Amino acid sequence: MARQFAKTELAPIAKEIDEEGRFPWEAVEKMGPLNLFGIQAPRPFGGAETDSISYCLVIEEISRVCASMGLMLAVHNGVVVHPISQFGNDAQKAKFLSPLVTGEKIGAFCLTEPNAGSDAMAIESTALSDGDSYVVNANKIFVTNGGVADILIIFTSVEPGNVKKGFSAILVERGTPGFEVGLLENNCGMRANPVSSIILNDCRLPKTNLLGREGEGFKVAMAALDNGRIGIAAQAVGIAQGALDVSLKYAKERIQFRVPLAQHQAIQLMLADMGTMVEAARLLTLNAAHVKDRGGDLSGPSAMAKLFAGRTASKVASMGVQIHGGYGYSKDYPIERYFRDARATEIYEGTNEIQQIVIARELLKRGED
Amino acid sequence: MDIIVCVKQVVAGDRVKIDPGTYSLVRSAEFSYINPFDLFALEMAVQLKKEHSGSITAVTMGPKISEEVLWEALALGADRAVLLSDPRFSASDTLATSYVLGMGIRKIGKFDLILCGMRTTDGDTGQVGPQLAEELDLPHISAVEKLDGEKDSFRVDRVSDGFREMIEVSPPVLLTIASKTVVRLPSLNDIQDAFTRCSIEYWNLEDLNADPNKVGRPGSGTWVEGLTPTAQKKSCVFIEGDARQQARMLLSKLLEKNLLS
Repeated sequence: MARQFAKTELAPIAKEIDEEGRFPWEAVEKMGPLNLFGIQAPRPFGGAETDSISYCLVIEEISRVCASMGLMLAVHNGVVVHPISQFGNDAQKAKFLSPLVTGEKIGAFCLTEPNAGSDAMAIESTALSDGDSYVVNANKIFVTNGGVADILIIFTSVEPGNVKKGFSAILVERGTPGFEVGLLENNCGMRANPVSSIILNDCRLPKTNLLGREGEGFKVAMAALDNGRIGIAAQAVGIAQGALDVSLKYAKERIQFRVPLAQHQAIQLMLADMGTMVEAARLLTLNAAHVKDRGGDLSGPSAMAKLFAGRTASKVASMGVQIHGGYGYSKDYPIERYFRDARATEIYEGTNEIQQIVIARELLKRGED
Repeated sequence: MDIIVCVKQVVAGDRVKIDPGTYSLVRSAEFSYINPFDLFALEMAVQLKKEHSGSITAVTMGPKISEEVLWEALALGADRAVLLSDPRFSASDTLATSYVLGMGIRKIGKFDLILCGMRTTDGDTGQVGPQLAEELDLPHISAVEKLDGEKDSFRVDRVSDGFREMIEVSPPVLLTIASKTVVRLPSLNDIQDAFTRCSIEYWNLEDLNADPNKVGRPGSGTWVEGLTPTAQKKSCVFIEGDARQQARMLLSKLLEKNLLS
């Protein structure tokens, strides 16, 4: 279904929406009835409650054709719907989960700030208690889906000066007084996703919007990111597969020295490496999904999957450009879009280096046997 | 209204491989999908069930991997799915296939309507529907585009040689469907429901109480003697000269091939 949807609804517009930096509402509206906004969300709220393997396959197939929409769904499902399902109370689920799951509203996750990213504890935003409310001031940047999101998870501190103790997750709705969408980022890839800054200026939010308990924000963020990394790994696998698809097609079409490129051994060697890397990245990703479904410790496997899949997407897309030669550097062929899109998967939802820190920590934690 | 929909797993056009010994199609789950005409039939069944209630049973004959198309049928709205599968069914031509399907449908029992795709995109004979109707001694109407009516009487539109025929018919009847209805994609919930709530029933030769001489190669009235590919040859001609000369040359080439009348 996801493959068919991507083929019929996204393939015809992927190039255009990338060039125009346009969020394709006409295609997005068709995703809700297919449950793409609540892939793993609980049934009572309209979700499909699939396992994580199915989740990865959906994100991969969408990203294979349009990485911007793969990203939109991975963030919405992986780091917004998932933590609300996991940490939200019944009232929060009723209020926030239902419209998110149907796709009536789109979600975003706001952690990064000008001086805090990989170092999440360096956030400067604050939520001061005032009766039944928090008064929140925050400057969040690089917010995926920021330009279109209606329900956002904001990470802030309820104890100014003591982020470690006060780190908390609060739900905010677009339109709340003091809520402002900043400028859209002019990114090199994933251009159909309206990544923006989000500014909260003395924004008064009811305390009932606190997700989890006060001081539990780091736990919420890390659980969301451990989970989100699987989605981003699947997205990277999709980009890599898409880059391989278009490279295979081109290698069969393009004639050089009177034979198709694909008949030259130098090109075959590249294709073989690309295919092998994509398959390895896919299996690492599905392994992380499997670990999650079994209830195992997700940090190591999801970091490994995300690290390897991100590197694979970049490497495979780069090799794809090489196969295309001069045309690979031209906007006339889709490989350049995969090349630009791929690079972000090594950066967001934890850079490669952060994944390496997580992986090393997990390895060193284990006993000697 | 109880409806039986016959579906078939077909091989993607660019992935067709032929077994050199038996001249039959080599199937693989990865490059196979549900015959598009069967999807039209299934969609018509779903719409009829919405209007008249009842049940939809999807039936196919094939090896175990054909169950993929039954899962798809379940996700799209079938209530029950039956796979008629036995090594002795292999190498069945359309006649033997119709016999096996007929025996399966006899075992299913009650039905008002049998819907088949008008033809398949791989075998492309268009024979199984009509032959199945003969096997079950039912009236049939082929190439149906539209169906309206009450439970006891249908008005069926069929297309034929530039005409549209309107036919009244009473159930039970077999229709082969040509309509190009827009087929819905199943939602993730539909797919989940198919796998959690439904199962596939597997029936072999003995389950059907079928005559082994009427299935597979022994039961086939035809068999393939030989098979040679007829790949279309493409050639590319470069037209040179300035724009005027190129246009003139292109025009003469098109006229030469009778492509401009």
